[in-house]
Amino acid sequence: MKQLITLEVNGEVHELAVEKDATLLKVLRDQLGLNGPKRGCDSGGCGCCTVHVDGKAVYSCMCYALSYDGAKVTTAEGLSSGPDLHPLQESFIEAGAVQCGYCTCGMMMSAKQLLDDNPHPDEEEIRRGISGNLCRCTGYAKIVEAVKLASER
Amino acid sequence: MKNLNVVGQSVERPDAYDKVTGGKGYPVNVRLPGMLHGKMLRSPYAHARIVSIDASRAEKLPGVKAVLLPRDVPQVKFTPVFFVPVQAPSMVLDFDVMNGETVRYVGQPVAAVAATTPEIAEAALDLIDVEYETLPAVFDPEEAMQDGAPQLHADAPNNVAKNPSFQFGDLEKGFEEADYVFEGVYQTQRVHTCYMEPRVCVVDMDRRDNVTIHVSTQHVFGTREKLAFALGIPESKVKVVKAPYIGGGFGGKLELTAMEPVAALLSKKCGRPVRIEQTRHEDFITTTRNPIKMYLKTGVKKDGTFTARYARSILDCGAHATHGSEVIMVHGAFGIFFNYHAPHQKWEGYTVYTNNMIGGGYRGYGAPQGSFAVESQIDEICAKLNLDPIEMRLKNARKQGEPHPFNPAFTLATYGLEECLRQGADKMNWPAARSAPRQEGTKKRGFGLAVHPVWVSGCMGFPDIYEHSGAIVKINRDGTADLATAAMDIGSGQITTLCQIAAEELGLPAGAVRMSSQVDTDTVPFDAPTHASRVTYSAGNAVKAAAAAAKKRLLEVAATIMEVSPEDLEVCHGRVSVKGVPDKSVTVAAVAQRAESPFVQMTAEGPKPTTMEEKGTIIGVASQAPKSNPSPCAAQFVEVEVDTETGEVKVLHAVYAHDIGRVINPKAAEGQVEGGFQQGLGYALMENIQFDGETGACLTSDFLDYKIPTALEMPRRMDTLFIETDEPTGPFGAKSLGECCVITPAPAIANAIYDAIGVRFTTLPITPERVLAGLGKL
Repeated sequence: MKQLITLEVNGEVHELAVEKDATLLKVLRDQLGLNGPKRGCDSGGCGCCTVHVDGKAVYSCMCYALSYDGAKVTTAEGLSSGPDLHPLQESFIEAGAVQCGYCTCGMMMSAKQLLDDNPHPDEEEIRRGISGNLCRCTGYAKIVEAVKLASER
Repeated sequence: MKNLNVVGQSVERPDAYDKVTGGKGYPVNVRLPGMLHGKMLRSPYAHARIVSIDASRAEKLPGVKAVLLPRDVPQVKFTPVFFVPVQAPSMVLDFDVMNGETVRYVGQPVAAVAATTPEIAEAALDLIDVEYETLPAVFDPEEAMQDGAPQLHADAPNNVAKNPSFQFGDLEKGFEEADYVFEGVYQTQRVHTCYMEPRVCVVDMDRRDNVTIHVSTQHVFGTREKLAFALGIPESKVKVVKAPYIGGGFGGKLELTAMEPVAALLSKKCGRPVRIEQTRHEDFITTTRNPIKMYLKTGVKKDGTFTARYARSILDCGAHATHGSEVIMVHGAFGIFFNYHAPHQKWEGYTVYTNNMIGGGYRGYGAPQGSFAVESQIDEICAKLNLDPIEMRLKNARKQGEPHPFNPAFTLATYGLEECLRQGADKMNWPAARSAPRQEGTKKRGFGLAVHPVWVSGCMGFPDIYEHSGAIVKINRDGTADLATAAMDIGSGQITTLCQIAAEELGLPAGAVRMSSQVDTDTVPFDAPTHASRVTYSAGNAVKAAAAAAKKRLLEVAATIMEVSPEDLEVCHGRVSVKGVPDKSVTVAAVAQRAESPFVQMTAEGPKPTTMEEKGTIIGVASQAPKSNPSPCAAQFVEVEVDTETGEVKVLHAVYAHDIGRVINPKAAEGQVEGGFQQGLGYALMENIQFDGETGACLTSDFLDYKIPTALEMPRRMDTLFIETDEPTGPFGAKSLGECCVITPAPAIANAIYDAIGVRFTTLPITPERVLAGLGKL
């Protein structure tokens, strides 16, 4: 039995009929066609699905969509809306922090949370800030560098 | 080395923009109109006979569109491994898609459903009634080899699927000549590649057997060959769409599994595309690095010179041999036998069936296991005989210019192992660090090293393994070029490096060559998989040849414009100029425009014909095998801190020196090494897929139970050094990188732990529990 909810996603308001057990991740991907949040594990273990809900980074695979009626959601697609990329997007490209790229969108959303809370983190704070997101390609060195670069902009 | 314009630059990855703006281009995003969702029912038993399957209740569930049972699936046996022919004589041909009689591991697919939603498909699986008659199971390969053990396959007595060996010299004599003989047993574990994008496919198979498949794979042509065979249809009926990007592979997407043919057959049954996306649990039980137990015996002179080396390796391939048929060979050859000189050597390998999950490919392909044993034992020898671990290795190592140990037709034309060791040692401040007094207290520091002396750049010369590559290069009227190839970028940057190679050959600036994002097996030449550290070298050579062919045509057309001979022209920075007369030049764009222009052109004087010979798209095509198989090599140094109270091991500093030939893109190469170290660190200290000893069920099939390194576990300091050599057979001097960097971390860390606390660990992973037990505290 579906229920209607309203979600503001990347600045656009959507009225959505969702199953009671549908996760926010599923709704964002399958109903709204977004690719930024990605399913890596469906158990809150990898962080690929990280999005912001009302300004806080969450694993969208661990959120039932029904609990978020009226929430504001930002995905990686919503990081920048004008002609310029978000500083994190720029710095991830510049630092070579992107390899297969599957973790990248979730990683940037966690990094954004970190920089929102602490605009000038040191290396240890950056590492802690992204430690809920797994990357299997990079060894994180260039991701840490990218977040540092973004924090300087 | 010759100065180059584009090769050697850290050119920005062209794929990074797509990936930071939301990530289009992954197979997991593919959604087709009318698409259904498939799920597979998997065996709960490790070994059982299937008595009956009744799916009538599932078929009646609203939303279910098709049910697939073993009787609907062609019962053929083959190797699903992409890089060999589907019936390759050197492989064990024991894999089938859905066996109707016997299950041999927990998780073997026995039925499947397609439904309008994944949830309905999942619910329908619960309504399929399978009656099993359980059989005795065996999970330990050495028990499986005993007489009286449960037999998995009728044609494999004592469960030995394959039993290769290599030998050289007279082993007994070699041990007689030794001053000392060292023996050890080393055990490695099951680990998962942990690609972040799950295995996924969307397949559309029509009633006339035309198949189109979107799939997360490391090899589009391998998918085509194996899927066609599994379905019993001609290869040309299958079109595999090359995904612009996949979310990692690392060897974990290097074979056909049940997923693709099951989705195809479900699709044909209901006349709609079917998508199967594996859960992380399913991924964990689909592929793994094969665990290998190694009995290693080495004879040495007092000065550390090897007189004899013997090893016996027992590889647990699980329920089917698949990659285990080849991993054992690469392990024996490149993990153990070829590493060092020894006048007398023998190696015996056993690929053994058990009721465990099926093994797979994983970066290093048998070498990480071998390297753990060999490089650990060398340090044991050094400790006992008071030898320097660098000099001991160099004493027995191969030298530049020697024949390649694998194939004497090839030489080690470039081989910078000594420089890797010397420069790496300098960076780690090795002699001072090793001899410095050790600190008091509960946290102990230690330093260790390991090398990987001989590795591959592809599989040229290997029996039964595909190695050719192809490319199409087309010059556009705006002075750019398009490159099309079947070589997959699995995240490691092949798009970037191949485009750099093409740009260098064409004389175009960085960024002027674009990789086509929409090709499939119908439209581009064959390429072997992205595996075996091969793409930069093998596909790079093919791309360079295709670019050279396009350049030849470019210069011919330019010659007609400039009224000179093509031999007198060169192209650089996007301009074709007369050699030695840079002022006399035209742009590549102008040449391409002329070639593509109408034959008769309207001028002020009226219609005027141009030159017929210059007409036609400027294009170059190549399909070729590489000339050699050069060896990269690497030396790795680590500093660790062992907490003797908690057993925790931290890697503080890692230095990684590689000879990979000419570096095409330094930043991308660094990224490979840093990521390789991460996987090696996980292998050394943390990762282990665990199973219930009674039932054989996987206990660690998500990232909460199976821990891989996060940013916190990684060393704060990593130095990546490249000892550049100019490989004569490589594209602009390049060799390979992808795997060397993942092989050495485990032994280097184990050696550093020994240096810190004096305890030798011969079983991976070296967890806090094992460290405490080793210290006698547990």
